[in-house]
Amino acid sequence: MAEKEINDKRKSLATRLIFLVALFVAWEFLPQWTGSEKIIPTFSMAIEAFWVNLWKGDLFKHIVYSLQLIFTGILIGMLLAFILTALCMLSKRFNDVMDVIVSIMHPLPGIALLPVVMLLVGLGAKSIIIIIVHSILWPLIVNALAGFRAIPRIQLELGRNLGMRPFRLIWSVMIPNAFPYILSGLKIAWARSWRALVSAEMVFGASGLIGGLGWYIYKTRFFMDVSGMFAGLISVIIIGMIVDELVLKTLERKTVQKWGMSL
Amino acid sequence: MSDLQVKNLSKSYMLDDKVLPVLKDINIHLKSGDFLTVLGPSGCGKSTLIRCICGMETPNSGEILIDGQPISGVGPERLMVFQDFNQLFSWKTVKENIIFPLKLNKISSNKQELNDTADEFLKIVNLQKFANAYPNQLSGGMRQRVAIARSLALKPKVLLMDEPFGALDAQTRAILQKELYQLWEQFKTTIIFITHNVQEAIILGNKIIVLGLQPAMIKMQKDNHIPYPRMPETAPFMSLWKTLYGQLETKRF
Repeated sequence: MAEKEINDKRKSLATRLIFLVALFVAWEFLPQWTGSEKIIPTFSMAIEAFWVNLWKGDLFKHIVYSLQLIFTGILIGMLLAFILTALCMLSKRFNDVMDVIVSIMHPLPGIALLPVVMLLVGLGAKSIIIIIVHSILWPLIVNALAGFRAIPRIQLELGRNLGMRPFRLIWSVMIPNAFPYILSGLKIAWARSWRALVSAEMVFGASGLIGGLGWYIYKTRFFMDVSGMFAGLISVIIIGMIVDELVLKTLERKTVQKWGMSL
Repeated sequence: MSDLQVKNLSKSYMLDDKVLPVLKDINIHLKSGDFLTVLGPSGCGKSTLIRCICGMETPNSGEILIDGQPISGVGPERLMVFQDFNQLFSWKTVKENIIFPLKLNKISSNKQELNDTADEFLKIVNLQKFANAYPNQLSGGMRQRVAIARSLALKPKVLLMDEPFGALDAQTRAILQKELYQLWEQFKTTIIFITHNVQEAIILGNKIIVLGLQPAMIKMQKDNHIPYPRMPETAPFMSLWKTLYGQLETKRF
């Protein structure tokens, strides 16, 4: 790597860190100066509440529970998206039907669907998982289909010319070619699943035996445990950042960016 | 490395309820190891002809025979090198791009052997240094070289080239022409090479045909005996150039 590039990277990292530090400092002192610590806890109070609740309280339990729901939802969503996308690719008729379904369901917020879902399957983990699946399924399908439609004809001809049979062509040419789209679908799905989970729990208090982070924030608000509320928010932010920065961005860097296939 | 016969090949497309004849009564006979260049004005149906031979298009009438056997569908014994630079797999390194089709066609399953074959062909096209690069790190000319190396490694009966150098700059084009000629001398693969560039057709082909405008029929068929290196300034080159150029119709818009 060129020296200039390394320098640029360092500068970029430094800018981000300086901004974060400035944000934390402002957060620490503004509530004190304005005397509103009771409503907005200082940075150190929020971090302390986060830390204490994480190990001594029940925050950790809620985080684990949330993650379980999210990953179950994402797995089911991805599986369904895979099957439905495959059917769309195989049958033009099914694709037409799917177009209609997507245009009905895609703009429908999961939270708006929750009352109906609760009537059908009751309060609890199941209804939350259904909402998570709903909020990620449609963007996954829309992105995957866009990806498959954008495959250059030459790549398909090339695959057939090299002797590939249909299944080999799908696996070795079509999926890699559509991968940038699939990945951007995953990124959207990840962000949406969090929103669905937290908002569903907060608005309806719907939850399983333990309750996830949304329920935790709802609960702490009920008891006016302001620091606890912020501890819940911090957990959501940290998990979101870890997955986005470490998992998804790394995946992106090691695949589509390296291959020059960025959208 | 095989005989190729195209017999009375005709092809037409439907265009808004009208039949648009593209190719008419094309007859070609190539002996094993021939290098045929096909000249024609743009839009005349050169690509359609080569795509029929590749099996990507089905002719309306006529036959295509390889070693006396009619072709069926698309297959790796008739490999196409396209004009488009996007004919490699972006998610595979240069070397993997060569190894993958070899594995796919069960040329070998021995890792060492596959590796050696890939190295050998990368060396042939002077890209050893780029074995582990990804296609997006290569220039257009390099990518076309990889595509040629990949095709040659599969030892096709006929190598089909649809203006592979058409999108390259003049210098790179000249270099690749020379390289391709040397590869042909080394491997004696039967090649059909489409171009609209008269000079390129003369430099490369030992047989040259000129197609006319719609429907494309063979207007002229020439054997090219000019010895190597074929320099455009020499008298036989210039006279052949004039003959061929005179046969090229240009479309009036």
